[in-house]
Amino acid sequence: MAEALIMMKDIRKVYYPDIVAINSATFSLFEGEIHAIAGENGAGKTTLMKILFGLEKADKGEVLFRGEKVFFHSPSDAMRKGIGMVHQHFMLLENMTVADNVVLGMEPKRKGLYDYKRACEITKDLGERFDMAIDPEIKISQLAVGLKQKVEIIKVLAREARIIILDEPTAVLTPQETKELFHQLKLLKKDNFTIIIITHKLREIKEICDRVTIMKSGNIEGTYDVDKISVEEISKKMVGYDFVVTEDKETLKPGEVILEVKNLSYERDGKKRLDDISFKIREKQILGVVGVEGNGQLELSGVLNGVIRNYEGDISLDGLSLKNKSILEIRDRGISYIPEDRMVDGANLIGNIYESAIVLKSRDKDYRKGKFLKKKKLSEFTDVLIDSYGVKCNNKYDQVKSLSGGNIQKIVSAREIVEARRILIANQPTRGIDIGAVMTLHEKLKELQSNNLGILLISSDLKEIYDLTESVIVLYEGKIVARIKNIKDVSEEQLGRYMLGIEVQEDMEASL
Amino acid sequence: MKIRERLMSYFKNRSFSFQRFFFESLKTLMAVLIAYLIAIIIIVFVSDNPSESIYWFIVGPFSNLMEFGELIKKAVPLMFAGIAACVIVKANQFNLFTEGAFYVGGLVAALIAIYIKLPAFLAVIAALVGGGLVATIFGYIPAKLKSSLNVNEFVSSIMLNFVALWIGVFLISNVVIDDASGDTATGIIPEISKLKVFITGTNITYGLLIVIGIIILVKIFFSKTLPGYEIKMTGDNQHFAKFSGINVERRVVMAQVLGIFIAGVGGAAEILSNYHRFNWKTLPGFGFDGFMVTIIAKNKPLFVPLAALFIGYLRAGADLMAFNSDVAQEVVAIIQGVIILLIASERFFSSSFFKRLLDNYKERRNHKRMDVMKNE
Ligand SMILES: Nc1ncnc2c1ncn2[C@@H]1O[C@H](COP(=O)(O)OP(=O)(O)OP(=O)(O)O)[C@@H](O)[C@H]1O
Ligand SMILES: [Mg+2]
Repeated sequence: MAEALIMMKDIRKVYYPDIVAINSATFSLFEGEIHAIAGENGAGKTTLMKILFGLEKADKGEVLFRGEKVFFHSPSDAMRKGIGMVHQHFMLLENMTVADNVVLGMEPKRKGLYDYKRACEITKDLGERFDMAIDPEIKISQLAVGLKQKVEIIKVLAREARIIILDEPTAVLTPQETKELFHQLKLLKKDNFTIIIITHKLREIKEICDRVTIMKSGNIEGTYDVDKISVEEISKKMVGYDFVVTEDKETLKPGEVILEVKNLSYERDGKKRLDDISFKIREKQILGVVGVEGNGQLELSGVLNGVIRNYEGDISLDGLSLKNKSILEIRDRGISYIPEDRMVDGANLIGNIYESAIVLKSRDKDYRKGKFLKKKKLSEFTDVLIDSYGVKCNNKYDQVKSLSGGNIQKIVSAREIVEARRILIANQPTRGIDIGAVMTLHEKLKELQSNNLGILLISSDLKEIYDLTESVIVLYEGKIVARIKNIKDVSEEQLGRYMLGIEVQEDMEASL
Repeated sequence: MKIRERLMSYFKNRSFSFQRFFFESLKTLMAVLIAYLIAIIIIVFVSDNPSESIYWFIVGPFSNLMEFGELIKKAVPLMFAGIAACVIVKANQFNLFTEGAFYVGGLVAALIAIYIKLPAFLAVIAALVGGGLVATIFGYIPAKLKSSLNVNEFVSSIMLNFVALWIGVFLISNVVIDDASGDTATGIIPEISKLKVFITGTNITYGLLIVIGIIILVKIFFSKTLPGYEIKMTGDNQHFAKFSGINVERRVVMAQVLGIFIAGVGGAAEILSNYHRFNWKTLPGFGFDGFMVTIIAKNKPLFVPLAALFIGYLRAGADLMAFNSDVAQEVVAIIQGVIILLIASERFFSSSFFKRLLDNYKERRNHKRMDVMKNE
């Protein structure tokens, strides 16, 4: 085989003061390939890529670029060699336009002034070249996640990157968007771009990658040609033991109605975000909500958890209305909520794990004496949470910021699942979590289900929907366009057509 | 030996890293040194007798017990203001009425002491608490405006400072003025209400003990109680707090009210310690200083006294220098400015310089370990 385009040799990275993120890793990349990196949460995938991109400095080891030793002290060094990275958590300026963001730091100039027209052209050209049509003059804050990601990719292309690193790009995408992304990646590959893609979805590796590197607790397990390795083998190598994917879901007979949503409508900025939505959730029922991101999911969960209060229609829990109730009152009534955005709404990044874990328990009478917190009990609680959900960290006083993306998600999901008493609203509860941990989390959700709770599962991961739910509603532009009694009867393609609004279910049953 | 081990394991459990602590302190120390260096250079340029100026500036405050007491006396109101600002900043608020609260607290304390006759101990308590409470009533306005109407508390509290000041000036020049004073000032504060000197030979009063008590209470409040925890979460990440069901508005108001109360008590303590009559015709400046103190203390309650002592030392030195030589006090402003700049800039040293230092250190330590292993 040809000489490697990039060779990372014996890389070691210890985060200050003593967290070994990468023990010893040797990684090679060939020109023109799509290379997957897989591994459990906290295995060091992001860290390895940050080192390649010059964002972190390795403690040991060297990086060879076309056989030549290079030192990347900062991302601009890496960019000069044509390396670009799209991060796990986007880094766009929300209040500026697409074009502004694309040319940020390398603005085209005319007579010494910022040439906005030219910026728009650059954006447009690149978009067209790789089938990523996007209006350059739209503000980032108005874009759905899938489009934001495209902006990030265009941004990298505009900097003339030839090697593109994508950190969990599909975690935030719907199946349709994923398909689009893969199409674009294939176009890039045809143009001899080299792509590294970190992912937890093994199906995707099989679908578009040439080789896969598997990481496990800071080490490289190995690099394999995708043709020569099966999905089962990959997952076995990732977790280190034989791994049986149990897909049988018990069919539990739903009980009493817990939550009833009647004719819910909500308008913002003159646009109907939710339009006449009605459904019920019963005991022992997991109701799935699917839809392309930005079609009302966020608003629906906002209404249900009390962030949004000026809606029309009514919601009742166990027969009592939730209208005009505060977030706290709604939580006290037994509704628990996993927010979609773990970095902002879900956890306190600048605090430690303990602080983010106890935020609900600290109000519990058993965990405090008057106004004083029972620290010992709360500490034990945190330890149990960390243990039973497999959060990878040194101890509970680690900064949340220092955890890997998947591990932050675990803390948020765990805290809410433990606290749920009647209803759990789970908005992307397993986003960015590795397959092993997903299984654990799904077990916990099923446990809740058999304990007579109802769950509203909003997920863009259709596999998760098929694995966990029986009945599903599909949202399109704030309306329910399909009510599916048994998801097994509907193919993924059919579901996709509902989600894109190409088709509306014909005889939609009045209620589920 | 056993105690040492237990201490180590305690810190380890809390993820307390000596290294980190060491480097953080080193960083602050560096900032101080650089600032002093700049100050000394300036003094050398402007003074006819630099060595004497520098002597008074740096060594002066420690030259005798009286001067040292002067340093402490200057630090006490800074501690009050610092811990008050600390509470407010914990909730990520910037209610600058701590400034007006010093004024109002001092005035009200003087009035209570003069016009309400109470037995000894009660007289002091009434004046302190009364001063704090009246200040709080004022301070509640910007806090409530913020939480209910989202009015920027920074702006409204600054304006309120002047409202409070002019009400006060009006009172002491028209209503409660004592003509015998030959000044626009209140009557004489009775001895019975005053905070007594508690270390003889100095001017250090019981105010010092009160503020230390308050600092300890604040520390306990934030580390052990539910409201304290919730205020901190609200300050760190308001979205997270809101989604978790914390009553963000209430916590935001609570932090400001508590901070303002402490500042009010601070003003009262200042007047009851060091003044015969209340005669402030301008804002005392302590409230603003408090925010500086808490920035230097990294917003940690237990570091507030250290930061306040440091600023007190700076000012005591500057006073002595101005009195004994030809350099003006304003040099202090330069030092303060440079220190705040260096400390507030997160990236000063921490990222590149110290990390390299640490890397070197680690490398050497690892080598040493290897050597030890080889020898074994
Ligand atoms: N800034 C940091 N400070 C301290 N520790 C860190 C920091 N960033 C990452 N770590 C630690 O390094 C390890 C590897 O993290 P990394 O983000 O590379 O994991 P990952 O493989 O990308 O995981 P995920 O799939 O969850 O994104 C984790 O244990 C994490 O806690
Ligand atoms: Mg990662």
